[in-house]
Amino acid sequence: MSTDVVLLTLLVVLPFAGSIVAAFLPTNARNAEAWLAGGVALAILAIAAYFFRPIARGEIPRVEFEWLPQLGLNFILRLDGFAWSFVGLVSAIGLLVILYARYYMSPDDPVPRFFSFLLGFMGAMLGIVVSGNLIQIVFFWELTSLYSFLLISYWHQNQSARDGARITLTVTAAGGLCLLAGMMFLGQIAGSYDLDVVLRSGASVTAHSLYLPTLLLIAAGVLTKSAQFPFHFWLPRAMAAPTPVSAYLHSAAMVKAGVFLLARLWPAMAGHDYWFWVFVPLGAATLLIGAFLALFQQDLKGLLAYSTISHLGLITLLLGLGSPLAAVAAIFHIMNHATFKASLFMAAGIIDHEAGTRDIRRLGGLFRAMPITAVLAMVAASAMAGVPLLNGFLSKEMFFAETVESHVASALDDALPFIATLAGMFSVAYSLRLIHQVFFGPEATDLPRVPHDPVLWMLLPIAFLVLTCILVGIVPQATVGAFLNIAVRAVLGDATPYYSLAVWHGFTPALWMSLLALAGGTTLYAVMLRYLSGDVEGAPILRRLKGQRIFERAIAIASWRGAKSLVQSLSSTRLQPQLVLLLCVTILAAVWPLYKGGIDIHVPKLHEIDTTFLLVWIVGCVCALGAAQQAKFHRLAAVILMGGAGLSTCVTFAWASAPDLAMTQLLVEIVTTVLLLLGLRWLPKRREETSRPANLFIRARRFRDLAIAFIGGAGLASLSYAVMTRPQTFTIATNFLEKAYTEGGGRNVVNVILVDFRGFDTLGEIAVLGIVAITVYALLRRFRPARDSVAVPEQKQFQDHFDAEHDALSKDTISAHYMIVPGLIMRLLFPVVSMMAVFLFMRGHDLPGGGFVAGLTFAIAFILQYIAGGARWVEARLTVLPVRWIGFGLLAAGGTGVGAAFFGKPFLTSSFQYVDIPVLGRLPMASALLFDLGVFALVLGATVLMLIALAHQSIRVSRASSKAVQPAEGAV
Amino acid sequence: MSTIENLPLWAAILISALLVIGSSLALIGSIGLLRFKTFYERVHAPTLGTTMGLFTILAASMLYFSLAQTRPVVHEILIGIFVTTTTPITFMFLVQATLYRDRFEGGDPLAGLSEEQPQVKTPNDP
Repeated sequence: MSTDVVLLTLLVVLPFAGSIVAAFLPTNARNAEAWLAGGVALAILAIAAYFFRPIARGEIPRVEFEWLPQLGLNFILRLDGFAWSFVGLVSAIGLLVILYARYYMSPDDPVPRFFSFLLGFMGAMLGIVVSGNLIQIVFFWELTSLYSFLLISYWHQNQSARDGARITLTVTAAGGLCLLAGMMFLGQIAGSYDLDVVLRSGASVTAHSLYLPTLLLIAAGVLTKSAQFPFHFWLPRAMAAPTPVSAYLHSAAMVKAGVFLLARLWPAMAGHDYWFWVFVPLGAATLLIGAFLALFQQDLKGLLAYSTISHLGLITLLLGLGSPLAAVAAIFHIMNHATFKASLFMAAGIIDHEAGTRDIRRLGGLFRAMPITAVLAMVAASAMAGVPLLNGFLSKEMFFAETVESHVASALDDALPFIATLAGMFSVAYSLRLIHQVFFGPEATDLPRVPHDPVLWMLLPIAFLVLTCILVGIVPQATVGAFLNIAVRAVLGDATPYYSLAVWHGFTPALWMSLLALAGGTTLYAVMLRYLSGDVEGAPILRRLKGQRIFERAIAIASWRGAKSLVQSLSSTRLQPQLVLLLCVTILAAVWPLYKGGIDIHVPKLHEIDTTFLLVWIVGCVCALGAAQQAKFHRLAAVILMGGAGLSTCVTFAWASAPDLAMTQLLVEIVTTVLLLLGLRWLPKRREETSRPANLFIRARRFRDLAIAFIGGAGLASLSYAVMTRPQTFTIATNFLEKAYTEGGGRNVVNVILVDFRGFDTLGEIAVLGIVAITVYALLRRFRPARDSVAVPEQKQFQDHFDAEHDALSKDTISAHYMIVPGLIMRLLFPVVSMMAVFLFMRGHDLPGGGFVAGLTFAIAFILQYIAGGARWVEARLTVLPVRWIGFGLLAAGGTGVGAAFFGKPFLTSSFQYVDIPVLGRLPMASALLFDLGVFALVLGATVLMLIALAHQSIRVSRASSKAVQPAEGAV
Repeated sequence: MSTIENLPLWAAILISALLVIGSSLALIGSIGLLRFKTFYERVHAPTLGTTMGLFTILAASMLYFSLAQTRPVVHEILIGIFVTTTTPITFMFLVQATLYRDRFEGGDPLAGLSEEQPQVKTPNDP
């Protein structure tokens, strides 16, 4: 049993591991990459072979890992016969494609990326196939979309590759999201996400009232993935991928995921007429449209793409019929299609490689130049057309036989044999065209290269596949009989019907339909030959129906024009209307529930209030009002007054016995003021004439704004007051107060909450702070100030001029005469302030302090140096690396959290004990201290980074402007 | 933990006296800030509070907490040192800024004094 577990896990893990290894090999290691990838594919094939016996006996090897047991979700791998046949298909064709790709990829291509993605894709595909859990299937499903995006855009220098990849990702990933919703419905209906349970509860699923939405959502996923009409347009666009990718993804693997899932869920969902009415019409439409469009493609790979669409339509139609025999035919055709289509894609790649073009009209008479390729392609194309004694004939005959049977009584069901035969004719015609126009006819003379057969190794994969086509076609029972049997049994279980894999069944209607298709197709091709060789691009009639163009238009409308018009009608680039709107909505949102529920505010009597406290608040309010009044026309005064308001808040905190908050508030005030002052420099000069508007309208608007501001501010204040004065009995605060020392090991409850109880919040917050700082830095790097604030401010110019006249102008700011005394003191304060920061940090767990405050304090030490000496002076003497501090802070905080895992504790669990340290004495040493160190480093880094970003502006801009001015002066 | 009631009378009187002196000095300084006419005069007034006023209040604090906790409490010395070293910086900056501003607006209050200083002559001065 344990071997089974290991091997089954390896089945999924191995490709991903290989993918990671492949990514790190050297760029030109084509052989090593191919050996690695081939080895992985071979190992998977071997694992599949190992499992064949038990599966043939009817066992289902199964592994279950706990994932989210609370939600009843486990990571389940199960390998039943159907999954087994897909594992075989994916790994065998994967192996051949890898061999082919080794010779296909040019030495200039960066192969590690290619093989890494290919292996990753293989892993995702195997993941879908062996998943035993609905959600898990969707996860791997989306992973295949992602890898296919990366593989299609492998040659990302091509516009068409990028576009194709984007369209593929948009369509298939959107389908995947629908699928996720559908799977959730299905899981809820069945009562479990476990695939085994779901498959057993077919009757309850089809009887459920939510069956139709479930079906439609799952269909959206399946139809997009398997490129069914009307979502088929992504597949031809995906042909911009390298040919090995097309041969793998677009014949055997990715597009088969859709029909795989359809067959997988067949036992649970097929027993309803809706199933027929969703999949049969769309499958039939895809079958016909795909075959019709394929005939008119001028691009070799385009022809194969549309033919794939058509064949997938055939499989969807078969599965949609809902009869067991049709399901057998579908599974058989999935296998057959993979063999002949993969070999045809590879042959197309060789032709492209050798002749330098894929345009069917330019090619011709290649039989003489490349006979081996021609023969192989001819056999494969015949299999595709359904010529007897090849595998395509067998599954197509089963298909024809099924269409003749009646399923759901309707006109569509009656018309199926005719649709099938018509599609068969087109299929024969395009196969014929592929062979005739490429290999026969007049020899092409204007080819970019002289074609010849490629190296043997490149032909080997094709030859192997073609041989399979022939063998299966002649002796089906002996070759695929056993494999098909276990696959079919896994899907249908006891409902498995009797089916015969013989080549000859007598003169059945299906045989006549096959013969009719062959004859009709040949005639059709003969008639259309002239038309096809002309300059026509695309198919007649359906030329205008371009799903892709509709898609592009829809995308453009949704993501560009729609968004733009929404922005235009609902938004404004001006800050004031946005703020007004925001405030009004906030006020309404607050007033509405209060109006309904009422509010009782305990209004304090005047004698209850402490006079000093009242005075502090009067000062604070006056400062705040003054700041608002001065904000527009005297910004410096506004900043100073804001500091006053902040200080009164700070005093309030100290008054209300919250020394932590008071300290933090004070430091934040200091830092904010400095940063604001640095920013003020770049605002335009105030204009006196606008301060007293004569216009009545403007005055009215200002009054409105004043009213809104007043209501907002006063409302928020009274609301907070009402909440804070509410009598509280038992709250979470009580809990924190009780447990801070016993469980957090700290007497400073605020700090224990920050670094322990709410450590995860803090981690998120410091991450945000770090991101903000880096964003500020990134934005300011490209900052171009308004033209009128580029020049050195008037006052500074005057000052420099005056100094130049009276004293010698000093080189750096700190030796200017007015900085001599203050500069010295500020420099001397640096170690003192740093010491203070360390002090605050160390005592933080028990007494007011902590990483945040300490970080701010240390940042102020740096700010002082910048103020004293200027940016250049400081940076010539100190290496300031704030970004590294931010990184270190995040790592330290996150690492402490992860560290708990080594002791078997959940993320961010802290432990503590007292440690005797010489000189400093007995100190509490909680692991939270390490976390706090992270907070400290990050706050310090973020603050200093923002400061530096602002401070450097003056240097940069003045340099840039002086450069711009100099040549002009020289000219004068 | 002892409270105000447990303080000896002499200490209570002394602490109160120190506090009253300190706050009076701060008040006088603030009144001066309000009453003086020019900026250069005004800048001197608050220093009353930040020097002597501060010292007396700190002394009161040291005395009170030392008695209350029955051990010497001397943190306040640090406060005194930092305030006395940093306040002058603020005033220096303020005065320098005002000086340049006055010059910019035309009236240099040091114009009369500048004759005593050797002026740097530019070569193309007539």
